[in-house]
Parts: sequence; structure tokens; C-alpha cells
Amino acid sequence: MYDVIIVGAGSVGSAAARELSRYRLNVLVLEKGHDLCAGASKCNSGMIHAGYDPIPGTNEAKFNAPGCSLMYQICDELDVPYLKNGTTIFATDDNGMKELQKLLHYAELNHVRAEIVTPPGLYDLQPDIGKDVLGVLWVPDGGVTNPFSVTFALAENAFHNGVQFLKETEVTHIRKTDSGFTVTARSTLDPACISSQASPVSFEETSSESISAEDGSSVICSFETRMIINCAGGHSDVINNMVSARHFHIIPRFGAHVVLDRKLSEKLTTTLMETPHDLPGGGHTKGMAIIPTLGGTMLLGCDATEVGDPDFTDTRRESIEQIVDYFKAAWKDLPTGSDGSPFPEDAIISIFGGCRPHADTNDFVIGEAEDAPGFVNAGGTESPAFTACVAIAQHVAGICIDRLKPEKNPSFDPYRKMKKSFRDMTNEERRAAIAENPDYAKIVCRCEMVTEAEIRDAIRRPLGARSVSEVKLRTRAGMGRCQGGFCSPRVLEILSEELGISPLEVTQCGGRSTILSGRACQGL
Amino acid sequence: MREVQLVVIGGGAAGMAAAVSARRNGVQDILILERNDSLGGVLRQCIHNGFGLHRFKEDLTGVEFAAKYEDMVREMQIPFLLNTFVIELKPDKTITAVNPEQGLIEIRAQSIILAMGCRERSRNALLIPGARGAGIMTAGTAQRYLNIDGYLPGHRIVIVGSGDIGLIMARQFVLEGCQVAAVVEIMPWSGGLPRNMKQCIEDFDIPVYYNSVIAQVRGKERVSSVLVAKVDENRRLIPGTEFEIPCDTLLISAGLIPENELTEQAGIRLSRATRGAEVSEELETSIPGVFSCGNVLHVHDLVDFVSEEAEEAGQNAAVWLSENRSLPGSTSTESTADPSPESVFSQSDLADDIVPAVSGDGVGGIVPQFVRRGTAKKEISFMFRPKNRFRDAVITASSGRDELIRKKAIALTPGEMCRVTIPAEKLAQASEIRFSVEGTMV
Repeated sequence: MYDVIIVGAGSVGSAAARELSRYRLNVLVLEKGHDLCAGASKCNSGMIHAGYDPIPGTNEAKFNAPGCSLMYQICDELDVPYLKNGTTIFATDDNGMKELQKLLHYAELNHVRAEIVTPPGLYDLQPDIGKDVLGVLWVPDGGVTNPFSVTFALAENAFHNGVQFLKETEVTHIRKTDSGFTVTARSTLDPACISSQASPVSFEETSSESISAEDGSSVICSFETRMIINCAGGHSDVINNMVSARHFHIIPRFGAHVVLDRKLSEKLTTTLMETPHDLPGGGHTKGMAIIPTLGGTMLLGCDATEVGDPDFTDTRRESIEQIVDYFKAAWKDLPTGSDGSPFPEDAIISIFGGCRPHADTNDFVIGEAEDAPGFVNAGGTESPAFTACVAIAQHVAGICIDRLKPEKNPSFDPYRKMKKSFRDMTNEERRAAIAENPDYAKIVCRCEMVTEAEIRDAIRRPLGARSVSEVKLRTRAGMGRCQGGFCSPRVLEILSEELGISPLEVTQCGGRSTILSGRACQGL
Repeated sequence: MREVQLVVIGGGAAGMAAAVSARRNGVQDILILERNDSLGGVLRQCIHNGFGLHRFKEDLTGVEFAAKYEDMVREMQIPFLLNTFVIELKPDKTITAVNPEQGLIEIRAQSIILAMGCRERSRNALLIPGARGAGIMTAGTAQRYLNIDGYLPGHRIVIVGSGDIGLIMARQFVLEGCQVAAVVEIMPWSGGLPRNMKQCIEDFDIPVYYNSVIAQVRGKERVSSVLVAKVDENRRLIPGTEFEIPCDTLLISAGLIPENELTEQAGIRLSRATRGAEVSEELETSIPGVFSCGNVLHVHDLVDFVSEEAEEAGQNAAVWLSENRSLPGSTSTESTADPSPESVFSQSDLADDIVPAVSGDGVGGIVPQFVRRGTAKKEISFMFRPKNRFRDAVITASSGRDELIRKKAIALTPGEMCRVTIPAEKLAQASEIRFSVEGTMV
């Protein structure tokens, strides 16, 4: 019997797991993806929102600002890099200036530091900002981190402190019992693998007629638990509606980011955003933003379009055009383009997108379901849920702790040591790293300067990478300007060696996404 | 810090040829830095023929072509370091590199030849929308999987762009028993060599859709089909023209980009048109003693011309070293301390000393970008790609109203480079060298 089962290993689920690992509790995290951080957290920009913009009084406002400081705290504890570069919301017309006044008022009510800065003081703050900018809201506590690193770090630390994780395991049913719940899930892991990582109460091989060829082989397994925390992001409505009659619904809101090569990022000392506004088809966006990343690239985006499928990650022509057209027009206002240089279309190296799990309640759905004691929601986790993930986690974990009254975990270790990336090392540090492990001298990803040592480590770590794109999220290999053109064959080779599988079995991102489809020259 | 007279960064077609030529011209102290585990660069995966026809008057595979140069490097005992990755190039010509045997290596070079080659434009850089699962890769990556590793990346293939690697791979996939469903080209003509269009596409009846783009990639975990659509004359998609082609693999062969990240890091001035360094008729960059050649300078059509250009760079570096060796200090750093992108030759007080090459109608980026007045060379060869396909074309170079040269061509295509040689004496009075192409656009 588990004390708590957490559904979903995105940023919120992983943070909840870590909070619970401070106590002597049996905790299991079920993740349907091939990897952790597979849903909305994966598609997140990594912005640490200070909390100036949520409507005061909402859950979003309640958890954002405390979440922001907690995010910096856990980044320090878990050795995750971040930039506290501030957020600058800029206005180029009177309506924009009015919007800044409103945001300043919100910021005050949300207890977030912010001030409106206009020329000439603006040019001290932002020397390269465009001359058409009338004023900005300067929010010094905004920042940027990497959503994958944060999520992996939280999960790794939770794992280290005793939490169990099962990937590739999708919750299909939840049944109330006298002592809690029976959670039934479908897993594509083999039964031996499941039993070695978790304690199911029953197994059932799916009969051949009940699974289509699409699904491949899978097993149904059941787990008993006292409590459940629903951190299923885009599917948090489905999980809630299995248990509670107080239904809510996720309206997946797709957004895309365009990635620019790192050449231009020197001029970008802060994250810049236009003022938020309502969208033509309803809904609301925080505004287009230009976000410096830890890797030195820049993210441009994002748009907001309602789509049916919360797992939708295809890039859309309309999104790309909307973002590129917006930045072509706005480029002159930004520090990167205020010198008159045109929008650098040839510096675009990538596009990615995914869905924000927007709930029809227009707010995070947080707390125990009134009609299902022991079932705790952390759903509808659209932006700023990534920033707020630890604050949300503390709240929902707190409900479990109040109920279960566990002892503290005496061996809880809040820290995780992570070696600096080769790219960020000084030459002296590099020399030392190579002396210790010559694989540090084997550069696999040229564009992002990722070494073989780092790639092997990403695979060997607990809850480590098992596919090419999982290596990419952990190391940045393939994230640069050539997008894996040179390094993916080598990454594939290393994965095959480390996992002890044929190169033909190595996948892009799990499931049937194998990269190679056969030996060449079979006829010879 | 180790001192070396001439460091060649890159041991592919350009780097080997440059090193061999520098040695022939008397440079004793040479070091080639190569990031792969063998010399040869991309030629190692080019098992098709058609290499060496100009340079060796032989029809060689890429592998054989590379072997010829590697043999020369070995016979001349030119030192090279494999698995060696340059992580930093500074304006004062110091190089930091890493390899597993020696760890971190720091070298002070008197002169440098940049020969890092190019990379392929990716699916994402082309902004091809749709699914992002497996089955999408560049043609060169597929070529590596097939020819180095021995694996097929798929069985039913659509190729985006008609660059040469894509065309070569189309033929090879057919020979491997795969189906090449289509080549989709945004332009009204192929970006590859005419001979590759004939031998790899037409001879195998592979359909080519011109003026077309991929409107969407479909398939959740792996590509299952693509939607192809027509574009208008502004290369914008025409809605309603989409049709679906089932496939399991999408290969990208839509342009090569010179790999100039080190060049930029050193503060060397780059050309927007070629995306390579701006060079003089000596192939010297804005940092004296640093030369550039091959595909890192501009993307060539034939490796023969890469080697030819690189041999010239090697010779020029040798001359430069002989002229600058007696200068105080072993490295000529006096004009290289300033890493700003404004290079020596773009400063107005020096502008009188150079004659710029300028792209006129129908002409893409030109190499070299300028000629020094009083150059020691008797004639200067210029290379560029025409921007369109022309029939009955005339290539001219002029300075103001003075025509410097006029050359006829039956047919020109962007897939093939134009090479124009102008006697240096004609440039003595020129204020610029403006190249233009006129003819019937086809």
C-alpha cells in the first residue's frame, strides 16, 4: 500500500514528489510518457515569472510570487543554473502605458517588486532599448531557467530520497476503496521492470484482442494507495473526472517558440515582453516575449491557439508566421534590433511548441476534491505553474502530510551536486575534468560543445535518458544550430552501447520512434 | 604554449590540400587539427564517383579522392591531430583545442588556415511545420548512417530541396531497394549540379515537384506522410494546392551553411552573402595571416575546386610566412588586437587601397570580396553562383562604364559556380569590379 501516488512527472509532480520525500512515506510517481518532463513542462519557455500579472486573489496569484522565490531556492539546492535577469514589459503606445499601470497595481497586490520606468531613466536601465518605447514595467525578480533541468533535478532528488517512479505507465482507472484508492494503469514496461521499480498489487497481461497493433505490448497493473495527487497537467481533468463529480475540463492552448542562435544574445540582458492582451478568438496571452536562455540562445514567442489534444506538439505554420511577423515589426523596439539591424531570419535554428493546460475554471485547480477525500488536485497547471511548481507542491503535499501525519525522513538530503557543463567551465576546469575522465575531451555536439562524458552521465543517472531527444533535454546535444545533424549518429551509438541494445532499437523519443529501419545492403 | 608556424583547422578536402600546398611551398612547421577520428571530412561518406575529374583527371569516389590527399599528407609527414576539437580561436591567433590524449591544448600560431567546411540547413531552420517525431534528418546524416554505419534510416523517402547530397542520396536509396517518392523543391529549378539531376533523378524516374514546399509533416512517433503544396512567385504557400505523399522518412537537402563560429569568435569579418569570411585575392581574412578556403569560405559545387582553392590558400600562407617571419615577435599581432568586426580593409582610410568585388544583376556572393591594389598576382579568379537559371548568358565585370571582361555562357544554373578570371593589370584603374549576368531566364 502506497501512502501517496502522484499522477504525472512534470515539474509540479516532480516537485510534489520531492516535498513528500521529506517524510517517511511510500510514494510512487506514475508518468505516462517515455520520459519525465514529457508534457507541458517540456514545452515551457523556462521563464521564472515574478508574479506581477496574475489577477489578484486567484490561485495563480497566490502561488506565483512565493513560487518564484522557491524556484531560486531549489535551483541553488539542486545545482540547477538560472539567470535572475529581470523581466521588462514594454509599451509603445498609450494603451500599453495604461496596461503597465494596471500591472503595477496587480504587482502591488501580489506583493511583487515592480516599477514603471520611462525615458530618460529607461536608457540607464536598458541602454539599447528602441526609441519608440514609451515606458516599461521593470520587474527585477523575474528570471530564466531551464524547465527540463529543474524537473529532472526535482525528480532525481525525490528518487534519491526514496520516491519510486514508473515511466511509460498511464493511469486508466481510479476506484475508491475503504482505505483509499486502487489506481489501475497501462504500462509498456515489462512486468519484471515494473516489479523492480514499484510494488503493484496485481498484473494483468492485456489480451491480444484488446490491444491494437498501435499500442504494442502492454500490461495492466494496479496499485493501492491512501492518497492521490493529480499533477497530470493536460490530462488533469481526465484524472479528476475519474474520481470526483466536480468535473473540470482542460482547454489545451497551443503556443510555439522560435529559437534564435546565440550570436545576438549579448545585447539581451533581460527578458522583454510586450504588454499582455486578449486574443481575437477569446483567451489571453501574457504577450510575445524575447527570452534569453541559459544556453545563450533566444526564444521568441509565444502565440496561443486552442487545440483539441493536450499532447499536441506539432509546429503550426500559422504560429510560426504569427511569431516571425510580430518580431519583424517589433524588432526595432528591442535591444537586439534598435541599431537598425533587420530581424535575423537566417538565425532561426528551431521551433518548438506544446499546450498549456488551461482549465475551464480559468485558474489552477488546487486542493482536495470536496467529494473525494484523499484525492488532491494540482491541475489546470498552465503558466505560471512552472514557476509556481514548488509552491503548489508544498501546498498539496501539505494536505497529505496533515492527513497522514508521517514522521520526518531523517535521511532526507535536499541537495544534488551536478557537475558544471563543459561549455560553462573555465579552461582550468576543463583541463581538470579531462584529466579525470578523458571522455570530457570528446566533443560530440559541436554546436553546444557537449562532451561524451556528459552524454554518458545523462544516460547513467537515475531516471536517465533512454532516447536521443531525452539526451538532448539533459545535455543540450542536438539543441544547437545544426539541430543534431552531426551529433545524432554518435548519440545513437552511445545510447546503444550504454543501454545494451541494437542501434536499430534506439528511438528518437520512445515508443515506435526508432531512427533506423534496417541494415543497408541486405541483398548483398 | 606551443608555437606553430601554420595551423590548419580542419582535415577535410580543404585542410589537407592547404597543408600539402603549404609544405610544397616551404612551410616546415604545420599542424592539422581534425575533430573526427580520421582525415577526409565529409568525403569519407561519399562513396559515389565524380570526384577528381578536374584535379586528378580521374573519376574517383570521395573516399578515393580523400585518400589521395591523405597519402600526400603522410608522405610529406605533415603532423595532424585527430579527435581534436578547437574550442576557441582568438584574434591574436591563439588556439585552444581538446583531445582525449593530450587534454587541453593551447597553440600560438603564426598563421592559420580556416578549413572547417560547412553544415546542412536543418528542418527547423527551414521552418517546416508539423510533427516532430523520428524519420526527419538531413541528407548528409542519412548518408553517414548508410555509408559509415551501414544502416538504412527508412524505406519510403521524400527529399526536401534538390541540393547535391539529396540527389546523390536519392539514387543510393533506390539502389538500396528503397522508394524515393518525391523531391520537393521550392525554386523553379534544381539547386544541384545538372549532372546529378540527370544521373540521380531523371535516370531513376524520381518525381520532382518544383515551386513546392512541405506544408505539413504528419505522423505521431514517426513520419507517416507529408503534405506538399505549391508556392507563388514570392515563395508563399498557395492554400488549396496541398496533396499528401505517404512516406516514413523526410530528408532535408536544402542548402549548406559555412561553419564559421570560430571565425566569428576571432572577430573576423564575415560576408552576409556567402556567410564565409571576407577575403582578399590572397584568400586572407581581416586578420593578417589568417586564411580561409573551401566550404567554410563559400559553398562550392565540386570538391576539385575546394582543393584548388585550398592549395592556393596554402601557397599564400607560405608566402605570407616568408614575408612576415622576420617581423619582431613571432606572431604578427600588431593589427589584430582589435577584434571588432570593422576590419582593416573596411576602414575608409584604407578603402583606396582595395578594389571591391560587387554583386550586380543575377549574381550571388563573390569570392574574393576585394583585390588589393598592387597585388602580386598576375590574374585574379573570382567565383560566384548565378541567382537564376540563364540560357545564352553573358557574364560581365565592369568598373563604372569600363567593361573589364565579358564572357559568354550557353547555360548557367545556381547549382554550378561561375569562374571568371581577370588580368590584374585591368584592375589598376578600377574603382570596383561589378559582376553581372544577363541572358534569357529559364
